[in-house]
Amino acid sequence: MNYDARRLGLYGVLGALVVFYLVPLEIGLVTSLKANPLATLPFAPPTPEGFTLSEWTRAFGALQSGLVNSLLLAVPATIFSALLGSMAAYGLTSLDWRGQVGLFTLFLAGIFIPYQAVLLPVSRFWAVYAPLEEWLSVLWLLPVLEEYHGELLTLVITHVAYGIPICTLLFRSYYKELSTEMVEAAKLDGATAYTIYRRVILPLSVPMFAVTLIYQFTQVWNDLLFALIIMGPGEGAPVTVGLTNLGSSLSDPGFAVKMAGAFIAALPTMIVYVVFGEQFAEGVAT
Amino acid sequence: MAELVLDGVTKYFDDDGDRIVAVDDASIDIEDGEFLVLVGPSGCGKSTTLRMIAGLETVSEGELRLNDTVINDRAPAERDVAMVFQSYALYPHMTVRENMAFGLEESTEMDDDDIDERVSETAAMMGIEDLLDRKPRELSGGQQQRVALGRAIVRDPEVFLMDEPLSNLDAKLRSTMRTELQRLQEDLGVTTVYVTHDQTEAMTMGDRIAILNDGRLQQVATPLDAYHEPANEFVAGFLGEPSMNFFDASVEDGSLVTDQFTYPLSEGTLADLDGASEARLGVRPEDIELVEEPVDEHDYAVTVDVVEPLGDENNVYLEFDADGDDGDGRTFTAVVDGTHPVAAGDELGARIPESAIHVFDADTGVALHNRDRDSDEQVVPQ
Repeated sequence: MNYDARRLGLYGVLGALVVFYLVPLEIGLVTSLKANPLATLPFAPPTPEGFTLSEWTRAFGALQSGLVNSLLLAVPATIFSALLGSMAAYGLTSLDWRGQVGLFTLFLAGIFIPYQAVLLPVSRFWAVYAPLEEWLSVLWLLPVLEEYHGELLTLVITHVAYGIPICTLLFRSYYKELSTEMVEAAKLDGATAYTIYRRVILPLSVPMFAVTLIYQFTQVWNDLLFALIIMGPGEGAPVTVGLTNLGSSLSDPGFAVKMAGAFIAALPTMIVYVVFGEQFAEGVAT
Repeated sequence: MAELVLDGVTKYFDDDGDRIVAVDDASIDIEDGEFLVLVGPSGCGKSTTLRMIAGLETVSEGELRLNDTVINDRAPAERDVAMVFQSYALYPHMTVRENMAFGLEESTEMDDDDIDERVSETAAMMGIEDLLDRKPRELSGGQQQRVALGRAIVRDPEVFLMDEPLSNLDAKLRSTMRTELQRLQEDLGVTTVYVTHDQTEAMTMGDRIAILNDGRLQQVATPLDAYHEPANEFVAGFLGEPSMNFFDASVEDGSLVTDQFTYPLSEGTLADLDGASEARLGVRPEDIELVEEPVDEHDYAVTVDVVEPLGDENNVYLEFDADGDDGDGRTFTAVVDGTHPVAAGDELGARIPESAIHVFDADTGVALHNRDRDSDEQVVPQ
């Protein structure tokens, strides 16, 4: 009896949580499919005559270039911050040299620097001291490459730099668990610091790469602040910037198109979760 | 040909300005093809010594010479040594074949075919050719151990270094591997330094053993010499299971006088003591004979406290009757044949033959007198 009551309570709470998490998604989804979202209740499904996919097509059309830009931004930024973080962690953990604790503390401090604190310095830095678009102007003459790719490059580098500390921390905790005797065995086997990394440490890091790739990809993909301040709306703007501008007009609040756009923009991160999910779980468990 | 010389090798660590000495002035000449066992309790510096030879720790003072070349500053890879670790330290993402080939790929110019051939040969010798395509996690502990050995052997190094390689195996497998390792080392004739805390391994495997305590080398000798002629009280107590019985004694009128008994000494033994007035008497449990009642001058009335039957022999814990009932429970040990009828509470005589006693300096622990070696056949009673 008592047991049943507890079970009931448990399922009640679980059910409430499910509703709590799913309601916004449900409302978003049905809203995006309505020709006139204000005609019915927010969570009610669209009536057959009020159903339309036109808002999805409209949103996709508007966000298309943003999606491409976001991919160009997030994929390299994610890969490089994970790779560099892993290398830094290896150097700070598995190799032995003076001052590594002090240096690691600096890395650690990097995690806690808020975006807002560096926004202006970073944008000034790129604009005044390192105008990549100008420096690389020769490249923009090549086919395929456009001038806004230079802006994306600055954004990639910014995100890589910002992502390295957290990636280093994640990899370091993982490398600390690896057997030191194994690294020593490799040393005695004649491997150099670099070959130990390439042939022993790197292949063993796959689960942690899944973790950092998912984490960093989500971070970079969803970032609006850096994108807005460093490059602003323009040809090179990533999807998050496009999303904020979507359907904004005085006559139409654009609920439906905004919802459709949000789903489209969120899709790639979901795909990344699904693809790396299994290794992610393994990496988190270690 | 590989002759390894440790010449005054010292290692200290700095701990916030405090200098902690891990290995103090160790000098050992290890001959070509010799199997040297470094043995001692945990924290005695044996692993540190091995790691210095491997190049995984720097040498603070002294010299390491391999074939008369100083190797102190050589990187581990350039010392031509191979090491077997306690945890085996196999590369988990590589197959056995890749594990064994790794060292050859990294340290030699051999081409892939030669490497493959050499790996296969070694694997056949180790009896692991069926495991070549498996990953370490698919292997049992004993198999991993073999792979770890194979990985060292395939390199064909000048020196093998082994850091407690058998300690993760179960007792039965350990004794099999002990024999096999010895046979392998004999066949290959490679100079080997083997670290263990297990005195059975030390006694059975080593051509010579080096006993360390607190970072100091106590004695380097053949196992039997170290056992029968220990350089000091530490070595005497460390080797042998159950360990040697020690009694504090003063020298009075040509006898060793302890709280419980008086032990008359012969002229020869007395001469070895060189006029010392305080000493420690040592006698191995297997040298104590149990007699029905004390008759001889070296027989003492005792009561059996506890009997530990081991099958082939019994460990018998004895109390001196002289201690009375208010004795502080101090017992000493005798080992008798397993068929010898003895039970707790028996009142017997314990005979301590003079040919089997050791006498140590009371302050320094240095051996003043060791047992007679001519009477080796009496070492195992009955």
